[in-house]
Amino acid sequence: MSNAFNLSQLANNVNTSGLLQVAGGGTGVTTSTGTGNNVLSAGATLTNATITTSSTGLTFSDSSTQTAAASPYVLKNRIINGDMRIDQRNAGASVTPTSNQYTLDRWQASLSQTGKFSVQQNAGSVTPPAGFTNYLGCTSLSPYTVLSGDLFIMRQHIEGYNTSDLAWGTANAKTVTLSFWVRSSLTGTFGGVIQEGNAASRTYPFTYTISSANTWTQISVTIPGDTSGTWNTTNGISIDVTFSLGCGSTLLGTSGAWAGAAYYGATGQTNIVSTNGATWYITGVQLEIGTSATPFERRLYNQELANCQRYYAKSWDTNTAVGTAAGAQGTIDIVIPVTGTGAYRTTVFWPVEMRADPTVVAYDNSSPPVAGTVYKGGSGKTAAYGNIGTRSAWIGTADATSANELYFYWTSTAEL
Amino acid sequence: MKYTYKIQNYETPNGKGTTILRSDGAGIPVNENNTDYQAYLKWLEEGNEPLPADEVINTSTI
Repeated sequence: MSNAFNLSQLANNVNTSGLLQVAGGGTGVTTSTGTGNNVLSAGATLTNATITTSSTGLTFSDSSTQTAAASPYVLKNRIINGDMRIDQRNAGASVTPTSNQYTLDRWQASLSQTGKFSVQQNAGSVTPPAGFTNYLGCTSLSPYTVLSGDLFIMRQHIEGYNTSDLAWGTANAKTVTLSFWVRSSLTGTFGGVIQEGNAASRTYPFTYTISSANTWTQISVTIPGDTSGTWNTTNGISIDVTFSLGCGSTLLGTSGAWAGAAYYGATGQTNIVSTNGATWYITGVQLEIGTSATPFERRLYNQELANCQRYYAKSWDTNTAVGTAAGAQGTIDIVIPVTGTGAYRTTVFWPVEMRADPTVVAYDNSSPPVAGTVYKGGSGKTAAYGNIGTRSAWIGTADATSANELYFYWTSTAEL
Repeated sequence: MKYTYKIQNYETPNGKGTTILRSDGAGIPVNENNTDYQAYLKWLEEGNEPLPADEVINTSTI
C-alpha cells in the first residue's frame, strides 16, 4: 500500500481558489506561487491543456502581446493588396481620379466633385512603417469646402465568396477587426465606414485618431458582426471597407453602431480635402475575424498579384503603366500569312479566372496606344471582341484587309 | 464620365454572339455580373439608345 493516494497531502496543495498547486517539481511543473499560478520549467510540454489568459493576454519571447486568439482561418485578411504593393494600372504614377475609378489594385476612389485629391503609390516618398515597402497616398489639391451631400472616399469592395463565413445578416454574425497604418499631415479625428456594399443598406461608421502629424500610427477598430441586412455570399459585393477623405453632413453617421442607412463618414471627422496640400497615407490594411488585431498577413508577391488579377489584368508587364508605348513587350502579335479581305481574331487567355466576364479593351501599339483599336499596316483599326468569358475572349478587327500582322495590348476588368 | 454605346454582333465557326462597344473603346460582355454591363442597362433605363450595329462581323480563325 505504499502507492496509496494521500488525500491529506492533496488537500494541502489546493489553494483558496480551488486550484491545484504542485510544489517543487513534477514533470514540467517546477513550482507554485502565492497567487495560484503555476510556472512551467523550460522545455515543458502542455498536453490537453486549456490556457486561460489574463486581460493583458499572452506575452511572447519577442515581447509582443496577443490579447485574443489569432484567426484559425488560412485566409485571415479579407483585404487584397492591403500592403499596397501592386499598382498595375499606373505603376506608381499619380492620378486625379474620377468617381469610381480604380487606383492601386482593388482600391477605388469614389467622389462627388472631381479634382479635389490625387492618389499615388508612395506619394511624397516617405518611409513606410517597418515591414512595409509601399503605401497608398492621397493629397488634397485645394482648400475645398465640403457641401452637405459631398463624399470623397477610398474604399475596397470585398467579394462575397471571401466573407461568406462571417455569417453577416444572421444571428451568428462574427465580430471582425479592421487594422491599418495611417499617416497624415493633419491631426485629429478621422472617419470611415464598414458598409454593405451592394445596396449601401447597412453602414457602421467608425472614427480613429491621429495625434502626431506626419507620423505613422497603427489603428485598430473592432466591429460587431451585423445580424441584419442582406450580405452577398457569392461573386458580388459584400463588405465595403471605406476611408473618408471628406464627407458632407447628410452622409455622416454616428460612429460605433450599425445603421440602416448609407453613410460615407463619421460624425466629427476631419475632412482632408478641405486643407490644400494635406496628405493622408495608408498601408497594412487588414480585416480579420476576431476582437483584436493580429500581425499583418504576409502573402507572396505572386499570390497577391493573382488575387488582384481576378479583378483586373493586362498584357503589359506588371510594372509598366497601362497605355505606355512599350514596343513589342506586352503586345499580342498575330501573323497573317495571307492577303485579301476579312476579319481576324485571336483568343487571349487571362492570367487567372476572373470574378465575372470582364470588360475588355484592346490598344494598338502606336505612341501612345489608342484604346479600342488594334494595329494593322501602319494604322489603328477598330477592335472587335467576342466570346468574353472568365477565362478568355477573342480580340480582333473587322478590318484586317491585306494585313500581314496585327498588334495589340489588352486589359480585362471584372471589378466589383 | 458619359459614354455612348454600340451593338457589335459577330459570328464565328462556334456560333453567334453580341458584345457591347463603349465609346472609350471597351468591349462589354452581355453579363449582369459585369459592372459595366450594369451601367449600360441603367443607361438604357434612362431612355438612351445604342448606336445602330454594323453588319455582323464574321471572323476567321488564323
